[in-house]
Amino acid sequence: MRKILVVEDDTTLREVYTMILSRGPYKLDTAANGKEALEKCALTRYDLILLDLMMPIMDGVGFLEHFASTTGTPPSKVIILSNLSSGQELAQAMSLGAYKNLLKAELSPGQLLSTVLYELEA
Amino acid sequence: MANDTNRTMRAASLKSRHTQTPGELQRYRLLVENVQDYAIFLLDPDGYVQTWNKGAERIKGYNSEEIIGKHFSEFYLMRDKVAKKPEHELELAKRLGRIEDEDWRVRKDGSKFWANVIITALHDDSGKLIGFGKVTRDLTVRKRFEDDLRQANTLLKQHQVDLERLSAAKDEFISLASHQLRTPATGIKQYLGMLLEGFLGDLTPEQLASVQRAYESNERQIATVNSLLKVAQLDAGRVKLKKKPTDVSEILRTIVNDYTEKFTTHDQQVQLDVPDTLEGNVDEAHYRMSLENLIDNASKYTPNGGHVHIAGHLANDQLIVTIKDTGVGIAPEDIPKLFNKFSRVPNALSDAAGGSGLGLYWADKIIALHGGTIEIESTQGKGTTFYVRVPME
Repeated sequence: MRKILVVEDDTTLREVYTMILSRGPYKLDTAANGKEALEKCALTRYDLILLDLMMPIMDGVGFLEHFASTTGTPPSKVIILSNLSSGQELAQAMSLGAYKNLLKAELSPGQLLSTVLYELEA
Repeated sequence: MANDTNRTMRAASLKSRHTQTPGELQRYRLLVENVQDYAIFLLDPDGYVQTWNKGAERIKGYNSEEIIGKHFSEFYLMRDKVAKKPEHELELAKRLGRIEDEDWRVRKDGSKFWANVIITALHDDSGKLIGFGKVTRDLTVRKRFEDDLRQANTLLKQHQVDLERLSAAKDEFISLASHQLRTPATGIKQYLGMLLEGFLGDLTPEQLASVQRAYESNERQIATVNSLLKVAQLDAGRVKLKKKPTDVSEILRTIVNDYTEKFTTHDQQVQLDVPDTLEGNVDEAHYRMSLENLIDNASKYTPNGGHVHIAGHLANDQLIVTIKDTGVGIAPEDIPKLFNKFSRVPNALSDAAGGSGLGLYWADKIIALHGGTIEIESTQGKGTTFYVRVPME
């Protein structure tokens, strides 16, 4: 079974993304920051990671840096799901191997779900 | 010829000044004695006061009986006397012929005044030092004025620094607050979206309509927060354009395509007149958003059934995009206000149009960053045309 990981520090968003994405045919895990995400990635190989950028403890860029240094190359598809449409953090995340960038405030639940399903197939 | 003779005579008289008549000497003495604005007096070679004039009396407060015969160090502050400044100044004047000093001095009543002092060494014909001439001016008023000015200047600079810091703090605050507002708004969007998209089962038509209104309201909030963030970024000088040759015809085609649904909803006809390709040197993302703002406005402020005409062409080394609508138009007195931050011009459609009043402000600034302008022609009740000009370079 495919596995996806949602990394999001906001509890409400983490819960609502879980409600939306739990409708797909895959196993869904969540993490509240980059550090938690690294711990989960040490135990499980995820097919897709939806990664927020601005998070406490360890942010998205921090996660990607560690992820790349521990595994050599990011083995999972990482999609940035943040509210940053430009800026240094986003540029850094993309250069660290993130695959694409989605804006949280622009995605409806249906669009989010269909994007995830599409990316898992692609 | 007569003039030459006069000049020669005057020169001869100047040359023979050292042999002034008693009458002339009397006049000089009277002149010096009666000058009010300068303290002019003589010191003997050791610094004891020998003569006194009206100006000295006025400035320093002593009359001639009180001061003649006293040492001129009376006029110095205690700290200067201790430091032997009076003696030092006489020594310097002796060596250099003349010294000038500006510093605090003391009046008879102990009060201080800011003095400009010139001490000139005086010698007789054989070159022997016979004393010193001392001229003192009271510049306290000027000094106070200068000090006040300096203080005001320092204060002004401090205010400017404070203002800049405040402005940066404001930008930072807007940016942070907007980020913080956007996260819960995103949560609301997802929950309402689940209701609207049937994730949580069917709703009655009434429920659906209410959720739809709540969703739209939240969308407006997200749009406002996004605008605030964009404006904060712009005001903080963080927008750096990345200009490159771009097909503006294609930009306009995609915008019109994206807005088709909106135009159709309002039964508005859109006409796009652009060449196959129209190359401009612009920052694609920012330029596109500026045009989107104007095209969105054209639709918002045009009644149902109206027309929006969009065209692009090159003229005089300028890339010109015109957006012409058959909308409500803008009153002449409101046109200058249009590009102000949070400007909302009241008209028949402004309530329905919503918006944050930041779109035109932002667009105008972005086009200005391109070195261009946005100009407006409008007739109330007939419509408005926006001209967006950007140099070709």
